[in-house]
Formats: sequence, structure tokens, C-alpha cells
Amino acid sequence: MIRSRYRFARPATLEEATALLAAEGGAKVLGGGSVLVPALSAGLEDPGLVLDSGRLGLNRIEATDRAVTIGAGATYAALGASEAVRTRVPLLAAMVAEVTGGPGLWNLATLGGAACHANPASDAPGCLSALDAQFRLACATGSRLVPAADFFRAPFLTARRPDEILTAIVLPVAARPGPSRYLKLKHAASSWPIVTASCLVAGGPGAPRLRLCLGGAAPVPVVAEWPLGSLGPEDAARLAADACGRIETEWTDELAGPGYRRSVAVTMAARALRSVLETPR
Amino acid sequence: MSCTSRLRCTINGVACDREIDPRLLLVEAVRDVAGLKGTRVGCLTGDCGACTVRIDGAVVKSCLVLALSVEDRAITTIEGAGDLTEIQHAFVAENGFQCGFCTTGMVLTAAELLRDNPRPSEAEIRRAISGNLCRCTGYDGIVAAVRRAAEARARA
Repeated sequence: MIRSRYRFARPATLEEATALLAAEGGAKVLGGGSVLVPALSAGLEDPGLVLDSGRLGLNRIEATDRAVTIGAGATYAALGASEAVRTRVPLLAAMVAEVTGGPGLWNLATLGGAACHANPASDAPGCLSALDAQFRLACATGSRLVPAADFFRAPFLTARRPDEILTAIVLPVAARPGPSRYLKLKHAASSWPIVTASCLVAGGPGAPRLRLCLGGAAPVPVVAEWPLGSLGPEDAARLAADACGRIETEWTDELAGPGYRRSVAVTMAARALRSVLETPR
Repeated sequence: MSCTSRLRCTINGVACDREIDPRLLLVEAVRDVAGLKGTRVGCLTGDCGACTVRIDGAVVKSCLVLALSVEDRAITTIEGAGDLTEIQHAFVAENGFQCGFCTTGMVLTAAELLRDNPRPSEAEIRRAISGNLCRCTGYDGIVAAVRRAAEARARA
């Protein structure tokens, strides 16, 4: 059994939840549980309060002409089954199809939880940064929308304050999504990703832009963007080198030591870029 | 909003309504409160899938769930799942287990796969059980068992 004692709350409304977070400095928000619960079991977390977000109704996926909004509590299984995600955000659908853990994890783990955990060597931060996601954070006094570039601040650290809860992830989408590709390198079926490459054509038809995001390569996602213009597959290696030049500090952990991620990132980037640039347009 | 420590749910159709320690995992509630030992405690990290149960019909790794989080939900364990006969026979016929520790999770996960995809390819079977680890490495037998169960159902 989990060693350290905590109080457990399962509020029914966002108002109650944010009031609890405001009153309690050492609260942990419980999403699907796939990160927080093992950390509690291992004695790595010692919260005063565990706030279960399961009754807050944050699991909806909604699509409008301009955005697909993913409730923070939407599971990978729900995302995988979502027609809106499949047709409007194919890059996210591709990422979700590659999440490790099997159905026993997909049925409970959430994209919102993964974003808030902000493990550099995970799928969500890179993919969501490539998609120009915005994160809706609520507290007792209101809510704010934080762009991905400001949300992922450091390894395992986001812009979410302790008194805030992530309620939704807003993904701007075009009427017809451009080509995209999600690639990841991992060394075992059950491994966390070593490096991910998310590539897509974004922006309006008048000014399409090629965007690449490398996840896992650096402490926070590395985004590079170019006007699409007449770029073709033959430009992939040059653009990959350009993108990897933006990796200042390399991320290292127990999965990959110094030098490894930097060396494989350029190959992953080039493959993703080439795949998107090869798509007829 | 008061903090609660009362668990109200059903486990295999039986109502459960009692005070529990908020630190209890669902797998611990299933085994030690409800006394159902078919569900195993493996890694406590969400990797191995030995603790797989159904919550409202969907398989989950119950070491990743606090027991108090399943308020008003229906829990089904291997003891209470009534739709496994062909799968169980197929696991026996194909030697789909060695020590048996992972079998609970494998069978429940296979059942969810076959519910959603009655004729899975080998790649689909392997993807479905990718979150269930067999440390005896009996995967070929397990995959053969799932395929046999699918064929048995197709003939039925």
C-alpha cells in the first residue's frame, strides 16, 4: 500500500476543485493515474491532498470550424476512437496510435495528464507543440489560455501553477488538414520514446508553412518552421540539420546518455520531413 | 466539499459500500477487501498488466487506480467475467501460459480485443497484448491462443 498519508477529494464541480487547490498548497491533481499513482506507490510523491478530477466532466472532445478541443480528461482510447481527431488532427491520431502501454493503459491514461507531466521523453509534449496547442488552465479566480511554447517550461515542469487545473487542450485546425507525419524512436515495445519527430504543413492555403517539432531531444520541445514555398524531399536533410541546430541543451536520461539523442534526432527529423515533403500537394 | 474515504461501487455485481484507507489501490481493494485473488499485483508501475480488471466494461491496469476513484463504477474481475469460455479453452489448448501469473490480464485483454475486432491479425493481437508482460516469454502460445479463440467464436 502507498506509504504516505494524504486526504482524497473527488469534487463534482470545477469551482469546488479550484477552491480546494487554492486552499491546499501541496495538492496533486489525479488524472488517469498512470503517472501519479505509481509515483505514490514508489514513495516518490508525498501530497497533502490528492484531487481526483474524474467527476469534473473534462473528457469531452469537441470540434468547430477552427479548433478541436480535447478535454483534459479524454483518454487515449477516446482520442483513438474520435472521428474528429482522426479527420481533423491526423498528426495527433498518429501519435495516439503509437502510445505504449496496451488497452489497459489507453483506457485510463489522458493526453492532458501527459502534457502536465511534461516528461521530455514522452509523446505528448512534442506532438502538441507541433500542433500549436493551447492549454486552458483554470483557477479559483478565472482561467487563461497558454500556448505550447510557454506551457512546456522545463523537464517535468509546465506553466501550470499549483492552484490551477488543466481543463482542455485547444488545437487550431484547418478546414482540410495538410500532410503530417509522426515518427518515434524507441528501443523496446514498452519503452518510453527516445526521440520523436512531428512534422506537418500548417497555416492557411495562402501561406502554408512546414513545421517540425522534435520531442525528447532537448529538455523542452524544439520547434522549427519554414515557409513551404517550393520545398521538396531533397531539402529534408538540410532542414533537419537546421532544426537540430536549435537543440541547445541535449536531454539525457537513463534511456539515452550524452550524445545519443543529438545524433539520432537529425535522422528522425529528416525522415519525418521527407515523408511530409513527398506527399503530393 | 468534504474529503471522503467511502468506497461505493460494485465488484462482480455485488455492491460494495465501506470505509477504506484512501491509499488503497484498486488492485488491493479487489484482492484484500473483496478477497478476489485472481487479479495479481505485479509491477505497481503500470507496465506488466497482471492487475488487469474491467471498469465499466473496459480493461484497465488496476495498480494505476486509487480504489476511491471507482465510485459508482462497475468492477469486473476474472472471477466475474462470464464471456471468457472460448478464450480460456484456447489458452489451455495452445499452452498459452507457463507460470500463469500474467494469464488473468492476458485473458481479459484478449476478450476486449475480440469484442472490438473478432478477426484480428497477428500484428493486432500483439499490439493488443503489448501492455501485458509474460516473463516466461510465452508470447507465441498466447498469440496462438487468441487466434484460436477468434476462430472458435467465428465457427460458433
